[in-house]
Amino acid sequence: MIDDETLIAYADGELDEIGRARVERALAADAALRARLEAQQRLGGKLATFYRPVAEEEVPERFRSMLETNVIAFPAPRARPRRPFWQDFAALAATLLLGLALGRSLLLPAAGPIGVENGTMVAQGPLATALDTQLASGQPADAATRIGTSFAAADGKLCRTFDSAALAGVACRGDQGWQLLMTTAGSAGPHGDYRQAGSANPLVAEAAQALMAGEPFDAAAERRARDSGWQRR
Amino acid sequence: MQAFERELLTLLPRLRRFARALARDAADAHDLVQAALERALKAREQWAPGTRLDSWMMRIMRNCWIDEMRSRTRRARTFVPEEEGASIGSDAHREVEIRAELHTVEKAMNSLSAEQREVIALVLVDGLAYKEAADLLDIPMGTLTSRLTRGRQALAQMLEAA
Repeated sequence: MIDDETLIAYADGELDEIGRARVERALAADAALRARLEAQQRLGGKLATFYRPVAEEEVPERFRSMLETNVIAFPAPRARPRRPFWQDFAALAATLLLGLALGRSLLLPAAGPIGVENGTMVAQGPLATALDTQLASGQPADAATRIGTSFAAADGKLCRTFDSAALAGVACRGDQGWQLLMTTAGSAGPHGDYRQAGSANPLVAEAAQALMAGEPFDAAAERRARDSGWQRR
Repeated sequence: MQAFERELLTLLPRLRRFARALARDAADAHDLVQAALERALKAREQWAPGTRLDSWMMRIMRNCWIDEMRSRTRRARTFVPEEEGASIGSDAHREVEIRAELHTVEKAMNSLSAEQREVIALVLVDGLAYKEAADLLDIPMGTLTSRLTRGRQALAQMLEAA
């Protein structure tokens, strides 16, 4: 008589040679035992079918960036060195100058990847085109702009992270086009090893995580979003 | 990225599957992976290089889940399961079929005791040997096999009837 525990151990490949031979002799002679074994094997198949896709899914960007940014965060935080106040002024002045320069260049039509539309900062030119059309899966290796994650924000707008030589950031599709919600210095170049670095820009990843409602899009959802013109949900 | 993070990254698909088998639904599983990763990153000095990171990580995940269940019981508050993700694929008919099947597996798993469930998750879903699973759970082999047998019997019964 083979009990369930032994039969299951047989199904799991946990019996030694003698145990296996004993079960196999019993199986040959007993149709009911064979049916019980088959039920256990079907169970294994059903569980595998149910859980396998989880292991095959692309790992959400959130987890990936937790591991990637951890390296940056890992060294013990150092106390910010105190510096003379005039350095703060210098930094402030530089920012003002940069702002002036940016403001001026924004007034010029079709200059750079940023424009102003009704008072909001929007992507324009090749950046806007990349955000409109480019899919993260299957981007050409030499794409000037690299698309990272696409996702829905809490307000239903669809957003994408991007990285290029000049600029990296998060853009969300609104009535005025791709509104730039956050930008920082870009790290992607047409060549080099930015494929690892690209979407993992910790500032961009952080901004995206703060905006994101639910999971980032997988390849199929990204394609659907593009094909529907990035309409808000 | 250092070796620790790199190895964790390659383990992630397996860990997500394990979380899915431990937790009630996809949303809980997602939160569980996040919590386990956070805990692992904080405790990384406790992992001895050269020992198995997968067992170490699964043990952390299991502890996170136990903590979560305890605090849930304390709060006596039920989780609202998140809507299932957007469906993939065009063959609507087949999809409904798969979905119905998925639903049964999940329901059956949810009806197991937590102890049976973690054993099923380790042996049947992750494919660990009995000995490995018993070591990871820190229980004798006999306890493992009896939990596994009872869990498998219950599951088979539910899924054969469905």
